[in-house]
Amino acid sequence: MRRHARRVYSLCYRFTTNAAAAEDLSQEVFLRVYKTLASYQPAYGAFPTWLTSVTRNLLVDHYRRTRCDRLTDSLDDAMPRLEDVHSPARTPDKLAQAAELSEQLQRGLARLSPELREAVILRDLQGLDYGEIRTVLQVPEGTVKSRINRGRIELARVLEEMGVRPA
Amino acid sequence: MDWHCTATEERLSDFLDGALSPEEAAAFSAHAAGCAACARIIAQVGALVSQMQQIPLTEEPVHLVGKILDATLGPRTTQQGWQQWFGWMPAIWQPRFAMGLATVAASLAILVHAAAPQGRNVSLADLNPAALVRMANRQVHLTYAHGAKFVSALRVVYEIQSRLGAQTEPVGAPVRESQPQPDPPSSEPHDRSEANPHPRHHEAADGSMLAFAVANRWSESLPDRFTRSRP
Repeated sequence: MRRHARRVYSLCYRFTTNAAAAEDLSQEVFLRVYKTLASYQPAYGAFPTWLTSVTRNLLVDHYRRTRCDRLTDSLDDAMPRLEDVHSPARTPDKLAQAAELSEQLQRGLARLSPELREAVILRDLQGLDYGEIRTVLQVPEGTVKSRINRGRIELARVLEEMGVRPA
Repeated sequence: MDWHCTATEERLSDFLDGALSPEEAAAFSAHAAGCAACARIIAQVGALVSQMQQIPLTEEPVHLVGKILDATLGPRTTQQGWQQWFGWMPAIWQPRFAMGLATVAASLAILVHAAAPQGRNVSLADLNPAALVRMANRQVHLTYAHGAKFVSALRVVYEIQSRLGAQTEPVGAPVRESQPQPDPPSSEPHDRSEANPHPRHHEAADGSMLAFAVANRWSESLPDRFTRSRP
């Protein structure tokens, strides 16, 4: 339960860059899964894949609802974390660097289009393979590969613009 | 194979995943070696992907799982009154746990009994390590002294028994003959009736009279022995 909750919350947070929204969405995901558990079929893939599909559908709904103020929310939420919580003076160097990279990555992801963002998150942060991502996104595998590839290159460019240089 | 910058971008993830054929991979690498822009983006994306795959999942808030369980299974019933204090009791009635608990309790009782000061209540000062060592030392010495005393008493009893047995073994024979004679015969005439004026010493053979006989015989024989052993 906790493992699934972490995976769902992490996906929601990476996509929305908003902790409160990620928490609400995670609850909504499990509520929906609980209500529709009887309709689950093996054709939907393994249970974690199905869980990710439900999460992704809710994230798309959430994105459509909050399209207008998405970017400002993301920046407002991310900036204080960098300054207050993950200050290098308070944490050991490596932890601080990892936390800072994670936050910078989060800000870079927020600047990608939703299609590229979700593809990169599912592949590189959630560790799904191409077949699972195809099941979740309901698109052909060629499209999945293309989105992941373009998303990675775009994210690298965005981070370079932000002055972030991956080690 | 002819390779160009657009192909490098399109097939970059395949290259990083190792999904290119050997010919494609060779052409890709040859192009990257001669194109600074492509080499740069390959290095950037490669490092980014490697780092992203090492980032752990974002930790959920502590209360999230509880909220999810409340939302799906309904609010969990909280135990009221005495149940919230003794709700854990059924767990310790498991036979294995209860047996272990009883063993530990018995061991502790033995230890406390051995270490605690006798004859008075245990106070906080008795829990001082120095006091504990002192008490344990005293207990050991007392136990040793009791043991030594017991063994000594046993030796006395066995000695008395053996002497009585030696004196009374031939029931009809004169007592004098059955007694051990470590010393040379005394020059003084020694009449049995004088040495043993009480005829009841013959009853010492009877086990029921052992204690009484021990008291009498021991008290009577000592002066006799001292008398005989004198030169």
